[in-house]
Amino acid sequence: MAPPASVGGRSWLPGTLMAAPAVLIAAFVVVGGMATALAQSLGLFPLVGPPSLTVAAYAAQAGDLPVGIGLSLAIAAASTVVACLVGFTAALVIVQGRWCGKLVAALGTLTIPVPHIVGAASVSLLLADSGLLSRLFNTGGSWPELVGGPWWIGVVAEYGWKESAFVALVVTGTLATRAVSYDETATLLGAGRLRRLRHILIPLSLPTLTISATIVFVYSLGSYEVAWLLGRVYPEPLPVMALRLFNAATLTARPEAAAVAIVTTILSFGAVATALTYLNRSPLWR
Amino acid sequence: MRRSSSRSVRFGSIIASAAAALLAFSACSAPAPAQQGFDSWDQVTAAAKGQTVRLWMYGGDEQGNAYVDKTLIPGAATLGVTLQRVPVADTKDALNRVLTEIQAGTRDGNVDLVWVNGDNFGTGKQAGAWSCGWTSLLPNMVLTNPTDPLLANDFGTPVQGCEAPWNKAQFTIAYNSATVSEPPHTLAGLLDWAQKHPGRFTYPAPPDFTGSVFTREVLDSVSGGYKNVPLRFDQKTFDRITPALYGRLKELAPSLWRQGKTYPKTSAELNALYAGGQVDFTMTYGPAELTKLVAHGTYPAATKVLTLTEGTVGNASFLAIPATSGHQAGAMVVANLALSPQQQAAKADPRVWGQYTVLDTARLDAAQRALFEKLPQSPVVPSYDVLSHNANPELSAAWVPALDDAWRRLVLAGR
Repeated sequence: MAPPASVGGRSWLPGTLMAAPAVLIAAFVVVGGMATALAQSLGLFPLVGPPSLTVAAYAAQAGDLPVGIGLSLAIAAASTVVACLVGFTAALVIVQGRWCGKLVAALGTLTIPVPHIVGAASVSLLLADSGLLSRLFNTGGSWPELVGGPWWIGVVAEYGWKESAFVALVVTGTLATRAVSYDETATLLGAGRLRRLRHILIPLSLPTLTISATIVFVYSLGSYEVAWLLGRVYPEPLPVMALRLFNAATLTARPEAAAVAIVTTILSFGAVATALTYLNRSPLWR
Repeated sequence: MRRSSSRSVRFGSIIASAAAALLAFSACSAPAPAQQGFDSWDQVTAAAKGQTVRLWMYGGDEQGNAYVDKTLIPGAATLGVTLQRVPVADTKDALNRVLTEIQAGTRDGNVDLVWVNGDNFGTGKQAGAWSCGWTSLLPNMVLTNPTDPLLANDFGTPVQGCEAPWNKAQFTIAYNSATVSEPPHTLAGLLDWAQKHPGRFTYPAPPDFTGSVFTREVLDSVSGGYKNVPLRFDQKTFDRITPALYGRLKELAPSLWRQGKTYPKTSAELNALYAGGQVDFTMTYGPAELTKLVAHGTYPAATKVLTLTEGTVGNASFLAIPATSGHQAGAMVVANLALSPQQQAAKADPRVWGQYTVLDTARLDAAQRALFEKLPQSPVVPSYDVLSHNANPELSAAWVPALDDAWRRLVLAGR
């Protein structure tokens, strides 16, 4: 993300130089990893046989890829919507500053350090067929298929829960620093709650909300452990598919895993590019 | 203006680091497997002193972990070898680590010894991942039967001294005799039972190891016995005999747990379903674990082993030394120790691990044989002789991915 626009033509140079060490290290890992994956997916690093440039790895998974792409995008989109709705509401409650705001802030802060895999295991213990809730209500087989079911509810619930805390804390930061004075002025001028929400709180937090939504979207698109633990075996989201292929005991499957990973990366870049284009058009972002 | 110039700087650094990365990676083509260079066992034991050997093994078997930690590691320590157990969720993780090390040109890798068999061994052998020709040096190899088909071929891949035998296993189906009043006696009967009792049976989704062997059992069954399924893979035979397999499994699917729309991803998940009473059958390639699970109350007390008249698939598992290991001598000392009658007998004790021995009792002396005769019988699991009665051979490793892929395409995705 660009720093706040500075006046004058020379000031970008020292800034770039100062960031260079960090950027270079990150770029070496990220770009190096992606270059390797790309080369492997194109058949340039085969485990056996001579290297040759080919798209066979992409073609081999052509049947499953569209389904995987659709499923991954759907899970990421649903998780993002849930996380943003819950997170934004939580941020509004936190900014009010009363005791319940402090409680929500504390809950959000406690949620952040829980690893996703622990969260997924907890959701499984809570919501699965033989989970805690099913036993508590003694449903005897009529429990809905939340974990491993056709609608991936357990997966979306886990992402929604974890990421809503992230969204809430980020949006709270923006609201607390940018919105309070406008909010107070509007109150003094007689604006009601709904009008303040519509004309001040939502517009001011929209850029932050967009950025955190993008992060949530890209994260839930690219991570595998939650979908693997709480999902079903078929169809598979892209990261689960990539991991299965990577671990397959077939020597030709590794390029296919790399191909799936490259497709996931392209989708993520697409999501980030869309979000940045939208932000660049938004007057509040500048 | 500002934006576009900073972008071009960033783009330049991306190009530069990408080029650097590609150069770095192109420098490391696959290395030749490390050379042994040992002529006698004395050289090996001398070189092994003070080495640290990391044994990568499936970590989901608590008894196996306890045996290695409490019996094998102290045994290795008396020989001057520090043994470390590295648990993995799947043996494929260890193989993948070795393959990655081979791609990176590592010669002192993180994996010194792997508990392996089947397609993982076959794939690794194809990729040159294993050290070969070292097992003839092990003094305890004379206690095994060289003509034993389970030890000479690992899922159809000739062993050729690339791995030392460790355990024998027998695929076993267990059931809750409190809920299954009339247990079937054949695999075909089991599938019929499942259709008559919707929702009470399922199997792990291949490529899970256990689910995969279950589909091979069904293949034997629908083909009219294992003798009708050639062990060597060829596409023509596959196309001829597998439609019956997938037809039967598709027909069965609506009667499975969750109408066969999904399956347990791992055998651990199936075990959890069985422990929770959601299904009446579970299956395992390590029947040894059943005794303790019943004793601890994890599994229903009425758990029994289903004996099938046509027999079940048996195999052996091995210890292999990756070509990238820098501690080959130490790993060979551990593999020899694991083959000793004392360690094999300790491991066969159902209270310890209950893994069947790979030693040929006819080749043991009286004192060594007594170690095995002293072992207590399990109240749940019959002895190896009973279990391995009519044992079916494993199909060659090439069958496994082909069957798993077709299952995925036809049975899983077909619904």
